[in-house]
Amino acid sequence: MNKVLLGILLGAVLGAVDGGTAWFTPAARTQMAGIIFGSTIKGIIAGVAAGFFARKVNSVPLGILFGLAVGFVLAFIVAYMQHGYYFEILLPGSLVGVIVGYATQRYGVATAAATR
Amino acid sequence: MHDDTGIGGANSRFPATQWSAVVAARSKDTAERGRALDTLLTAYWKPVYKYVRLRWNRSPEDAQDLTQGFFTELLERDLLARYDPLKSRLRTYLRVCVDSTISNADKAAKRKKRGGDAAHIALDFDAAENELSQTAMDPARLASPESPEDFFEKEWTRSLFAFCIEELQRECAARGKSVHFRLFEQYDVDDAGERRLSYEELAREHGLAVTDVTNYLAWVRREFRRIVLERLREICGDEEEFRREARSVLGWDPR
Amino acid sequence: MKFLSNSALERLRAGADTPDLGGTPYRLLERVARGGMGVVYAAEDTRLGRRVALKVLDLPDATGELAARLVREARVLARLEHPGIVPVHDVGRLADGRVFYAMKFVEGQRLDEHTASVKSAPDRLRLFLRICDAVAFAHARGILHRDLKPANIMVGPFGEVLVMDWGLAKIIRESEPDPGCGSEETVVELARTETRDEDSTEGSGRTAHGAVLGTPGYMSPEQARGDVARLDERSDVYSLGAILRQLVSPDNASIAAPRPLAAICAKATAENSADRYASVQELSSDVSRYLDGLPVSAYRETYLERVGRFYRRYRVAILLIAAYLVARVLVLFLARR
Repeated sequence: MNKVLLGILLGAVLGAVDGGTAWFTPAARTQMAGIIFGSTIKGIIAGVAAGFFARKVNSVPLGILFGLAVGFVLAFIVAYMQHGYYFEILLPGSLVGVIVGYATQRYGVATAAATR
Repeated sequence: MHDDTGIGGANSRFPATQWSAVVAARSKDTAERGRALDTLLTAYWKPVYKYVRLRWNRSPEDAQDLTQGFFTELLERDLLARYDPLKSRLRTYLRVCVDSTISNADKAAKRKKRGGDAAHIALDFDAAENELSQTAMDPARLASPESPEDFFEKEWTRSLFAFCIEELQRECAARGKSVHFRLFEQYDVDDAGERRLSYEELAREHGLAVTDVTNYLAWVRREFRRIVLERLREICGDEEEFRREARSVLGWDPR
Repeated sequence: MKFLSNSALERLRAGADTPDLGGTPYRLLERVARGGMGVVYAAEDTRLGRRVALKVLDLPDATGELAARLVREARVLARLEHPGIVPVHDVGRLADGRVFYAMKFVEGQRLDEHTASVKSAPDRLRLFLRICDAVAFAHARGILHRDLKPANIMVGPFGEVLVMDWGLAKIIRESEPDPGCGSEETVVELARTETRDEDSTEGSGRTAHGAVLGTPGYMSPEQARGDVARLDERSDVYSLGAILRQLVSPDNASIAAPRPLAAICAKATAENSADRYASVQELSSDVSRYLDGLPVSAYRETYLERVGRFYRRYRVAILLIAAYLVARVLVLFLARR
């Protein structure tokens, strides 16, 4: 599959999972649906960005950095909106970005007309 | 064209069936066997003589008798019947036969009885003796097992080449190419001393163009090769042995 | 009779043996090696100003049989245009009647010498894959090599691989009409040369004790038996398997080869040809799969090995996800406090 699609799928899954782990924080349990939804969207956005980046730039380290940056920024926005839990949101969010950044570099094909 | 004096027949070109002295030596026909012996004798008498002189440390007189006696025995006891080309070379086999003949008991009596009646060819033992001193071979060096083999092989090659050069000379003379032979002699055969003659010098000496020297030498060398191969074929048992021998005599040995 | 000194002997020998290249466009440079049927010389093609290798028949050839075989070897090579197979440029006859052919002069090392300097196992395997490519190409053209061994494979300075010495090659299938072989006669002659090949005793592994066609150690069992009728691509597969084994554990099991590789070698060198890979492509694709961290057809891995392979393949991704999970857990603990 192509990199952008891979980014979307992976970002969605990771985002959903990431959102789901909020269940372990009792305080957040009431807003589970919203958290998961938001987190999934966050993941998708990160995935799309990383996917497009991976199409243009072929470098695993750069892809990881880009993913980290996007993940961090998106997580920051969420945390800011929450007015708190910065550490709890930024760290995992950045890591999701890193994973998506790496995966889009390493796997998936750059264009529709793939040459292996 | 080819001189016939009892040397081994007029086989200057490959006949339809290859004549082989090794095979003919076992023939029922005595004339055929005699011819085979002559051929083998011509090829091998000198190396055998030199070998007996150095390896067995015999005096020239003893060595002469032993050499002639050996070849007679070769025929009479049909020693070639047991020769197997797949197991060894002919010259290794012959050398081993020489060894066993000499180390047998009661040599003296047998020698006196047979000496000299086998060969139809004059064996120039004095010349052989001279050659020995010229090569200045140190008998002490024959101690290691490889050396007798190498020594015998070298002497045999020397004998073969010398003989072929004579034939080459005759052929060149007969075809009006004595100049060709002379060039060959000067460049390849004779030892130049300090430095080898150059093609230019040879060309000047003979009043030829340098390209002629190159071409003539190439021609003579080809003829030499042809003659060596023909004579070699006669003393080999079959095609396979012949090929191996050709390669070993003419080829470059990484050894 | 003239006395010949030892140096005279050497000169005469050299003079008689050195090929006379007059009349050809080549200039002799030096002797390089001696093969089964001929000697290889380095020469210069004066027309193009490039170095070539000349293989000259050096055995006496009264019947012309050897000459026909050398020409056939050249013709076989001419059919095989592939970067991994030494290209042939010319074929002809010298002034003294000896047949020769001219081919690319290969600079490099023999495989057995080269592998000592290749430390990385994947690099060796990739080298092996290049060898397989060349042999598979030949098979596709209906030609078996029959004498594959490290000594017959050259590795160039850029890692390019060249399969040499097709003197024992066998045409098992006329994939196309032999160019220049228009007349029936020549085809028949080729065929006759073919059968004579089997009867012939020429071989690179030959000893004074008799005729062996090929080289022991790399020669398939059916070839060693002389079971010529049964020879097909799988005999070359056997030889390639032996080469692979040599590449993988050069000191012969001082370092144990990974099990999938050992299994590949074992399958390729199975005693019975029916148990081997059916083609060189199958062998090389298994080796390829091994290099990519995928399961190979020759080896049934245990569950644990499968997990291990999966881990090795996706190691970075797995570690990243693990890092994420650790971070998550960490965050949760810190939040609880």
